[in-house]
Amino acid sequence: MDPQLTSIIVPSEEIAKIEECLARLVEDTGSDYALLLDKSGQVISSKGDGDRQDITALGALIAGVFASSREVAKLLRERDFRASFQQGVRENIFIALIEEQWILCIIFNKGTHIGLVKVLTKKATDELAAVLERVRQQHKARDEVLGSAFRTSMEDTIDLLFRD
Amino acid sequence: MALINVAAREIHCKIVYYGPGMCGKTTNLQYIHSQVPKEVKGDLLSIATETERTLFFDFLPLDLGKVRGFQTRFHLYTVPGQVLYERTRVAVLNGADGVVFVADSHKGKMQENINSLRELAQNITRQNKRFADFPIVLQYNKRDLPPDVLAPVAMMDHFLGVNKMNWPRIEAIATKGVGVFETLRAISRVVISKL
Ligand SMILES: Nc1nc2c(ncn2[C@@H]2O[C@H](COP(=O)(O)OP(=O)(O)O)[C@@H](O)[C@H]2O)c(=O)[nH]1
Ligand SMILES: [Mg+2]
Repeated sequence: MDPQLTSIIVPSEEIAKIEECLARLVEDTGSDYALLLDKSGQVISSKGDGDRQDITALGALIAGVFASSREVAKLLRERDFRASFQQGVRENIFIALIEEQWILCIIFNKGTHIGLVKVLTKKATDELAAVLERVRQQHKARDEVLGSAFRTSMEDTIDLLFRD
Repeated sequence: MALINVAAREIHCKIVYYGPGMCGKTTNLQYIHSQVPKEVKGDLLSIATETERTLFFDFLPLDLGKVRGFQTRFHLYTVPGQVLYERTRVAVLNGADGVVFVADSHKGKMQENINSLRELAQNITRQNKRFADFPIVLQYNKRDLPPDVLAPVAMMDHFLGVNKMNWPRIEAIATKGVGVFETLRAISRVVISKL
């Protein structure tokens, strides 16, 4: 596979759709927080009350835990591992996979029933899978963002910041 | 798998430090964390055993600021090196844009270096990426070892197949910071050239 084709570029209008989807999920389930991650652990979008300072670390950890659970599932010869549930005393976390690429994560408390979260998450993952499909189709935006001028600026920045 | 969010004008890249146990991966991240300006770095997150060995990963987010209007973020990870944690390495490697392979310059560690690099090749291939095209930089760490146990660079090149693969290769003493930023610059450049 051409590594050039592995960058995922999410255009503004698709981000808007993602935000809408997450907001609705939080609203309809009465959850505290919904988070869309790339499988690499990077946060694509998040919705919920309060600004979380720890969101970057949260993304890295959740993606790591989920990838790790999948490896466990493989060892157990589980064929289709797409969701996981972490039960806490205060907060529960439900995690669902979208097309092997994105991870949807919902954080909710005792007031929300897991059954509802599962049902509405299924709906949300279908919607987000459609977004992902469209994002994968379009390659034009890449050249607009990642022109040679951008690469040169990026190299200058790296030389400036990563020095002894 | 660089992620570019056009609405938020953000670019994220994931770089993983890979290599056998005790070769100095965590030390690389600790040095970077100690040196970069406050506004650039986030907290260094380490999931380790009580004896300080990496259990799951170390994680260091770096925020490079705006590049042509795009907020640019690099996320650095290390994997646990011991053979035991093979599956954990697969998990951490998920979606990586580039790998720094840290090799131990101790003569007695050559076989471990080779095994680890082979395993890396397998794991990259399993993610449906071509290993030959994948952004990789080699770091020969611990160049401060006493001469009687220090593997000559040419010998390491030979065993690790560097000449064949055309990988950038940097000599380092991570504990003193020598070569650490040179390595980070090198992998960043390769990753960017392949975005
Ligand atoms: N002599 C020497 N020791 C080093 C160097 N870099 C790391 N170490 C030591 O090697 C040990 C393992 O380092 P660590 O970063 O935890 O290895 P990791 O398992 O790859 O994360 C520690 O005791 C370090 O102090 C180096 O450049 N020279
Ligand atoms: Mg370590």
